[in-house]
Amino acid sequence: MATETGIGASVKRKEDARFITGAGRYTDDVGQHGQTYAVFARSPYARARLNGLDTSAALATDGVVAVFTGADLQASEVGDLPCGWMVKSKDGSDMVQPPHPPLAVSSVNYVGEPYAVVIGETLEAAKNGAEALDPDFEEQDAVVDLATAAEADQIHESVPNNQCYDWELGDKAATDAAFAQAHHVASIDIVNNRLIPNAIEPRAALGEYDEASGTYTLHTTSQNPHLERLVLAAFVNIAPEARLRVISPDVGGGFGSKIFVYAEETAVIWAAGQLRRPVKWRAERSESFLADAHGRDHVTHAELALAEDGRFLGLRVKNKANMGAYLSTFASSVPTYLYGTLMAGQYKTPAIYVEVQSLFTNTAPVDAYRGAGRPEATYVVERLVETAAREMGIDPAELRRRNFIQPADFPYETPVALTYDTGDYEASLDRALDHADYSGFQARREASEQGGKKRGIGFSCYIEACGLAPSQVAISLGAGVGLFEVGEVRVDVTGSVTVVTGSHSHGQSHETTFAQIISDKLGVPFENVTVLHGDTGRSDYALGTYGSRSLAVGGSAIIKATDKIIAKGKKIAAHMLEAKEDQVEFEDGSFNVADSNQSLTFGEVAFAAYVPANYPLEELEPGLSEKAFYDPPNFTYPAGAHICEVEVDPDTGVVTIEKFVAVDDFGHVINPMIVEGQVHGGLAQGIGQALLEHGVYDDTGQLLSGSYMDYTMPRADDLPSFTVDTTVTPCTHNPLGVKGCGEAGAIGSTAAVMNAVTDALGVKDVPMPATSETVWRALRNGGNG
Amino acid sequence: MDIKVTVNGTTHHLDVPDNTLLVDVLRERLGLTGTHVGCDTSQCGACVVHMDGTAVKSCTVLAGQADGAGVTTIEGIGRPDDLHPMQAAFRENHALQCGFCTPGMIMSAIDMVQKSEGRLDEAAVRDGLEGNLCRCTGYHNIVKAVLSAQDSM
Amino acid sequence: MEQSGEYRIAGPRMRVWEALNDPAVLVRCIDGCRSMTPVGDDRFEAVVAARVGPVKATFNAAIALCDVEPPERYRLEVQVKGGVAGFAKGTALVELEEVTTEETLLKYQITGGIGGKLAQIGSRLVESAARKLTASFFERFAVDFAA
Repeated sequence: MATETGIGASVKRKEDARFITGAGRYTDDVGQHGQTYAVFARSPYARARLNGLDTSAALATDGVVAVFTGADLQASEVGDLPCGWMVKSKDGSDMVQPPHPPLAVSSVNYVGEPYAVVIGETLEAAKNGAEALDPDFEEQDAVVDLATAAEADQIHESVPNNQCYDWELGDKAATDAAFAQAHHVASIDIVNNRLIPNAIEPRAALGEYDEASGTYTLHTTSQNPHLERLVLAAFVNIAPEARLRVISPDVGGGFGSKIFVYAEETAVIWAAGQLRRPVKWRAERSESFLADAHGRDHVTHAELALAEDGRFLGLRVKNKANMGAYLSTFASSVPTYLYGTLMAGQYKTPAIYVEVQSLFTNTAPVDAYRGAGRPEATYVVERLVETAAREMGIDPAELRRRNFIQPADFPYETPVALTYDTGDYEASLDRALDHADYSGFQARREASEQGGKKRGIGFSCYIEACGLAPSQVAISLGAGVGLFEVGEVRVDVTGSVTVVTGSHSHGQSHETTFAQIISDKLGVPFENVTVLHGDTGRSDYALGTYGSRSLAVGGSAIIKATDKIIAKGKKIAAHMLEAKEDQVEFEDGSFNVADSNQSLTFGEVAFAAYVPANYPLEELEPGLSEKAFYDPPNFTYPAGAHICEVEVDPDTGVVTIEKFVAVDDFGHVINPMIVEGQVHGGLAQGIGQALLEHGVYDDTGQLLSGSYMDYTMPRADDLPSFTVDTTVTPCTHNPLGVKGCGEAGAIGSTAAVMNAVTDALGVKDVPMPATSETVWRALRNGGNG
Repeated sequence: MDIKVTVNGTTHHLDVPDNTLLVDVLRERLGLTGTHVGCDTSQCGACVVHMDGTAVKSCTVLAGQADGAGVTTIEGIGRPDDLHPMQAAFRENHALQCGFCTPGMIMSAIDMVQKSEGRLDEAAVRDGLEGNLCRCTGYHNIVKAVLSAQDSM
Repeated sequence: MEQSGEYRIAGPRMRVWEALNDPAVLVRCIDGCRSMTPVGDDRFEAVVAARVGPVKATFNAAIALCDVEPPERYRLEVQVKGGVAGFAKGTALVELEEVTTEETLLKYQITGGIGGKLAQIGSRLVESAARKLTASFFERFAVDFAA
């Protein structure tokens, strides 16, 4: 039903009313009577033995309620923080997972690692207490450089060569054979720079324990409260799920960094139980920099074998991925199943072989950050394709076109384990070329040159696997959890609708999008649909929001539940109208008997469901509330073409983005306004990686880019306005035909920017971020900053 | 110390420790949690409020400095059924996603438009928003919102 | 972080050496030094209030004199624990050369590192802060010595 509020309409958001008036309720806005405040003591050393910890002065500090150390948690049998994805090495052995106690016990392995928590009556008292702690650290040489980490000192007793795993995917022999026949081999050595996520809301937690019921309640900044609860119950041993409720209220951005189960909320909920008092913690930004899981951080060598006509014959990738000091919740999956599997890109490369060695270093743990593995894969493939095009003298758009998987090829099985269901890559590229006025580029370049500037254009035709994930596939590849989603549609007595979703919105606008779907499907007014989320006390076990999965998986669960509502409504209507069930149709919000003028509104049927006067209760339960679990049969494959045009001032090295075009295929779009907003934000993060952002450790493992003074966040004046458009090939295997749009901007844009920068400079590579200094140096030494 | 501060039109007499920040008075003492804290180096702008008509970062203003001042927070500029034109423009242009930076962004934007001499163009708006970080929107729609609000303010 | 430099001080080498070993002199010459307490042979504990950019804190420093060869040279090992502000550590090799019987050339070479919040927020500022602190020390020392 096409209405102003239905599917396809740019409905203004339900969420906005509270956010624009200051009425949002984020974790730090929640307070409890008698709450205490937690401050974490963090290691100033990248690697040190913790030979002792004198807490007496801290305990004696005015207003300090308690001090808990790693040893205290251990004595209380608080479990280690687990990693949820088992990756196996080439030789079949399991990855090596070092113990990861929430608070360090006898050694610390990155700057910022917490080793004690001080609880105070006030925040100031807790801070004073933390100041009074007297740890006895014995500093050791830190392992910081990823490229040489395997040969460096062993960080963890149980992890030889600092290696987590040495993984492979694809057919090595076939790939080597393809290279043997190559007319041309293009190769690149690239670094995917470490990023620090920086959601503007810092992580926070409020733990409470109710003595009477023995129940814990944790408010925290989580993208997936059920996963948080599962880990705290099953691994950390706080309490069984039934006595542990996790609430994620409004959350101020996540970008992956709030998927994971961290030390801080673990310590806070445990301490609340120990103290029988609420315990509150909110990260200072300095702590976010040190102890939120970072993103990316790969060192890669890759080669592409091509035939004389530019056809791709084979792709070889050898990658080192930084895990940081410990395995974060999903760290192991990011450079493997979310990375190696994407190496086919949009192309019919027949043979691909990917090797990934994941290594530990004395740096903050690294895990999923917007795109998670797929931006890194896109960066490899798209930089390599552009390099090949330049080396062979083929137009980069044309080279891509020659190698695209064609619409007739779908479903298309790649050599790296995925089966793409649908797409039309050339359609996106053509549209993007139009928007970018590609044919006018040469004239613009000449104009820039006349003005003493250098102009470049760069492409990126990315693909992503989203809609995580078919549970059985994921579990067979090492996932420790299923990856379905739950949706519940509760029709109220008077016909309004409450939807409970396991997806979590922290900017994605589910309260609006999901209400549009319900309004569209049930014919209920948009304003009479309320979407609830973010509370394990409200929804069934669910997997939350990441990997652009909410609409494709969470939305599908809601559709499935809605279908059940309609099916039951038909039964009720059939009884009420004395018709046969299969004669009843549901359309535009009413139940109609075919070939008659008999009809009931959705509201009348809802009311009858709860006031069951005239239908047989022995055959049909009262009520109209349905729930469905949806497990996707395949990933979804959003794809698109991004084109970036830059101008570089050779005197200063400043890169200016003159135009950025993104044409994406997300399948059907529920709310174009929201989708465009998601793309804009992703582009800003992808461009930020290319030009501005860099998590830098010095050679002793000190984080040098540890505040907004040194870590360059994209600001309004760093970015252009974007040209965003979509093409549509509907996903073939979910009811809405949707693919997901949350990560695309961050996945596609980085390579486009760097292809443009290197094009402008006429060099093969410039390291990211291409800051003015880096570019200025590159101009003077022909690349390599 | 004793301070007198008028917040959103209501005058409060408060006894606060000397080192109290204005943002903590607003959030902890007055329960005005619409003003957010996003960093500790005065860079992110999530805490921007108006003090005597000028945008300030309330995380770097001591409560004592606000003694005798009039402070306006996001809660004081409009209600859902009676939005300030800037609030309305943010909603209309989808200039917010997670909403965390939004109060500071709106307060900065209002100040920028009020202090602008003549019409702001895109470059001026981008320049004026330099003190406010947003991680969700890429600023595209925020810039649109500010440009559109200046016509209705 | 590395620094080196030299100062000419008007005085005989032995007297300069003695001053450099006198805690009272050192307290006067180190900017922000609140106390310097001997805790054994060639070991001191000092309390120094310092400000590096936005990080302002009181630091407890453990100072050890090593390889002492009066009146020619010693090596100063400094370990600073700044609590939540982080840590700093440094080594200063100080050498005295006799220019004349009434003039001494003081040469120093300093290497050091910082960690924790100091490095995270103050790293850009630490080197200049350290230079300032060092320069002020020798300036004050020269003045103090002359007085």
